Formats: sequence, structure tokens, C-alpha cells
Amino acid sequence: MELERLVVVWCPELQQEGARGEEARRFVHVVARTGELCPWAHPIRLGVCALPARGPARFFGGEEMVVSRLVEAVGEDVHVGVADGLFAAVLAARAQLIVPAGEVRQFLAPWSVATLARPELAVTLQRLGVTTLGQFAALPSPHVSDRFGADAAAAHLVARGESGELAGIRDRSIERRLRVARGEDPDRGSEPLPTQPGFFGGASAGDRRAALSFARVQGRLGVEAVLLGRIRGGRDPAEQAAMVPWGSPEAGTAGVSSAPWPGRLPPPSPTEVLRSPRRVEVIDDAGAACGVSGRGLLNGEPARLSVGGGPWQAITAWAGPWPVTERWWSTRRRRARVQVVTADGVARLLCAERAQWWIEALYD
Amino acid sequence: MFAFTPRKVPVGLADQVRPTTPVAGRLLPVPVPLAPLFPDGALRRGTTTTVAGLPGHGATTLALALLAAASQAGSWCAAVGLSDPGVVAAAELGIDLRRVVFVPHPGSGWAGAAGDLLPGVDVVLVRPPGRARQTAARHLSARARERQAALVVLVEHVGDWPEGGDLALSVGAIEWEGIGRGHGHLQGRRAQVRVGGRRSAGRAMERSFWLPAGSGAVAVAGPGPEPGPEAA
Repeated sequence: MELERLVVVWCPELQQEGARGEEARRFVHVVARTGELCPWAHPIRLGVCALPARGPARFFGGEEMVVSRLVEAVGEDVHVGVADGLFAAVLAARAQLIVPAGEVRQFLAPWSVATLARPELAVTLQRLGVTTLGQFAALPSPHVSDRFGADAAAAHLVARGESGELAGIRDRSIERRLRVARGEDPDRGSEPLPTQPGFFGGASAGDRRAALSFARVQGRLGVEAVLLGRIRGGRDPAEQAAMVPWGSPEAGTAGVSSAPWPGRLPPPSPTEVLRSPRRVEVIDDAGAACGVSGRGLLNGEPARLSVGGGPWQAITAWAGPWPVTERWWSTRRRRARVQVVTADGVARLLCAERAQWWIEALYD
Repeated sequence: MFAFTPRKVPVGLADQVRPTTPVAGRLLPVPVPLAPLFPDGALRRGTTTTVAGLPGHGATTLALALLAAASQAGSWCAAVGLSDPGVVAAAELGIDLRRVVFVPHPGSGWAGAAGDLLPGVDVVLVRPPGRARQTAARHLSARARERQAALVVLVEHVGDWPEGGDLALSVGAIEWEGIGRGHGHLQGRRAQVRVGGRRSAGRAMERSFWLPAGSGAVAVAGPGPEPGPEAA
């Protein structure tokens, strides 16, 4: 799964609560100013607040612009960084860096295993000569979970750049602490209402109740975990639809453009559109690989398929090919799409380029 | 004479004044073709409905269809654990996309996320990753009852939801129509749907549906061979 790209605002002076509780009050101010710029910012723990990067980057014209606008707007001494996943984004903020998408693992490699905030694990690893996240990431996963347990396995995924969430990064009581700092009743549960710009013109009681439950899920799983579907037209099943985070400005316009799109497959549409298409082999009666010719025609009649090296299944019906002449996966290539039904009654949408086939979508 | 005739409503007004608050009362509407599957002709708040089917047999279509009428009537709905939802298919089934949130990748937090959503929305559709633990199932069903939301659970086998549903729908035999060997296209899937579960007592039955029909919506399928799903 792709990690959520996040902007983190990190306040060096506000990491620890002092005797007078002034840090929490100052942090309330930081969260408020950040929220004015990007309404879906939320506090992670004292001195750390995060927001999804994609929306604001589009809005302000790039991640650099978001960072400089934030530094300007907040006023406090803040460090701002951008990276994939919360763990890396917090470190990026400390280092005031924008880590390019997909380069989390390289970015994390030189940092000390102490950054995982697991002192016992860090000591054990250092005794074994494993001092950096890069060395930790290089250990084989089964060994890590066997030897150090589930929590270390989770930390290992983080070091490998495959996960951004680590128990302990988020302070579950931060909203409550900020309510205290704002002088509100901490137990009233009156979190500031998360809003859906452009949609909750006049929010009903039901809308407010729903909004609070969505915010709770976002607190649990991250801001981009709660999505609205939106249809924008297009020929590819994957291109026709978009998912936008609930609460982001784009979500305000979520909805359907019902205009039929020329060249798209007729309904019914697939219920599962795979974000990462799966490889599948397709052969004809003689056992030869089927493929698509330069003119977008099939050579050979599809007779059997095997998903990811699994058992061969007989193809009982198929239709197409529908040529894909558009840009697809960012390279201009000759591809074709074929609907296929196997003997078990299951229908799939396949996509072929020359002799290579993928499952693009499922009809469940 | 200013006799007030409250029943007379201009045509089309009903659409304009469609409620934006959750549907009141104890029932949440389902698409008309599916109503006969439910003892009340609708989803009852506080109950758990399981929808079971092998991969590719249309259980996702049936489960998503249960959100269509409720979302159109103004209810908020949520779908937890459908990893790559077909948004176009959802719209074709009649779902109002402005009223449905998707939580596609809850990971091990699926039960927590569903539990967070039950107090806030009217229908929560959840697909557990494999067989659910008894404690999680019991907790979620209890929470749906307590918060008066409808819980719809999408599973492969009926037994994957250890608590059992108040109503258990399962998709059996299926057949795609409209597609041949090298001609036509997928037009409709005829599917047998069985009804069981505690609240179905004595009403256990099986019916044929198009899951979906040629329009992408669900429809009742006649018992015998038909000219084609377009006619349904």
C-alpha cells in the first residue's frame, strides 16, 4: 500500500510540557494558524501537527510553496518537512527537508535506531552492531518478528519505508490536552467540528454526527483513510473515478458527472478496480501465449488463464478486444482490454500489451 | 374556500425536498427489487445483515446495493475494507456518492474503524479480512444495536461472521449473460440469493436477481431463461 504523503509542522520548543503549561497554549496557536492555511491539519502530539500534502501542494503550487507558506504563517519557530508516511515526515520536519516521493527508505537509512523510540530494542540492536535504520531495514523480516516480536516487526516495516505508523507516535490524548489549554471542558467532547468545505453549507445534526465519526477514524488511521468517491469521466476504469480525502477542499465537489463518455466500456462497471494490476497468463487451445497485435487485434483465442502462477482455469466466454489508444501508465503503448469469464462463473477485466496480460478489474 | 389539501404535492417536489438528515424511523430503504429479501421490506436499524459469496459471485454488488436507497434518502453510509472500490459501479448501483465514505485500507483497525462509524452513520458496510474474531463480531453487532445503525457484513462464507447475522443473505449459483466466445459484452449476472438468519425464521427462501442488470443496477430476474438482462 502506498504511504500517505504528509506535511509535518514540528516545533522544537514545544516538544515537552513545562511546569506552567505554556507550551500547550502556544501549540494551540500553532495548530490554529496551520489550520487557517490548510483546514484539514490535525495535531499528532504536543509540538507536532500533520496534514496531507497533496491537496495543499496542488492549491499553493508545489510542496516548497506549502512549506514556505506554513513557516511564514505560523510565527513560532517551526520546522516543516514533507515525506511519505507519518514517521518519516516527522523526521523530515526535524531536518527541514522535503523527501521525494518513494525515497523514504533511502532517507531513513542513516538515522539512528534510537529514533524508533524503543530504547530496549535500540540497545539490543546496537549490541548486535545494528546502529542505523538502514542496517535494521536490511535484516530479513521473518527473523525480526521471530526474534524481537510484533512491535519490533512493526518498527521494521517503518524502517523499510513500508509503513508510516508506529505505536507511540500519536498521543491519543492530544485533543483533550488542547481543549484544556483552550480553557474548554475537556470531557465535553466538543472537538472543533471538522468541516467539509463547500458541502456542509448548513450542516444538519446528522451531518455533524457523521463528521465527528469520520474525524475519529481519521485520528485512528490517518487523514487520507476516509475517502469520498468522485466520477470525472474517462475511458479506463481506473481513470474514470477518483477518491478524495473527506474534509479536503476537493471533496466539496464530489459527485457524478453523468455524461456518457465515448469509448468507455458499457455498464455494468467492475466493482473492484485494482490499483496495482495483477499479472495473469493467457493461452490458446494449443497452449500458445495469446497476445495483442500491433493493430490491437488478438492473435489466438483465449482458452485458459492462470493468475500469478496458479492453476489453469478454462475460459468459457470472452469479449473484446477494446483497444486502449490513450496514454496508459504514462507511456504510449498499444494495449487492449478483454472481458473474460472462467468456468467458475467469475468475470474479470484483463488488459494486454503484446503477450503480457494483467487483471485490471474484478466484477464481484 | 381555502380548503387545505395536504396530500396533494406537485410532481417532482418530493425529489427537491429529499431529506438531508438521516432517515427517521426504524427502517432504512433498500432498492425496490431487493425489498422482498427483508422481513420488513427494508434494512432495520440496530440489526446485522451478512452478505456472503465466493469471490466473483456478486456479493460486493449485493452489499453495495444495500447502500443505494438509504444514501439517496439522505442517510450517511460507510464502506470499510473494500480495498479498491469501483466507484463507477457504485454510482451505477444507485449510490449517492456524496453520502458514502470509503475506508479502503483499515488493516487490522477494521473493527475499530467500523465501531467509530456506527454512532455517526446509518449504514456501515464492513468487509473483515478473512474470518472475524468472535469478540470483534459480537462487539460490532452490539454497537450497531445500541447506536441503532444498520451493520452490513461482507464475507466469503456465512460462517466467517461468528455471531451470525440477524439476516443472512448468500449468493449461490451465478451466470453472466451477454458475453459469448469473442462477441458481446458482460451485460448482466443472474444470481441465486438465499435468505437465512435469526430474523428470517420460517421464511428461508431463494430468489433470482440480476446482480447487476445491464444498467448496472440490481433487478429481479425471472425464474426461466429470458431474452436478456436488458428486459429485466
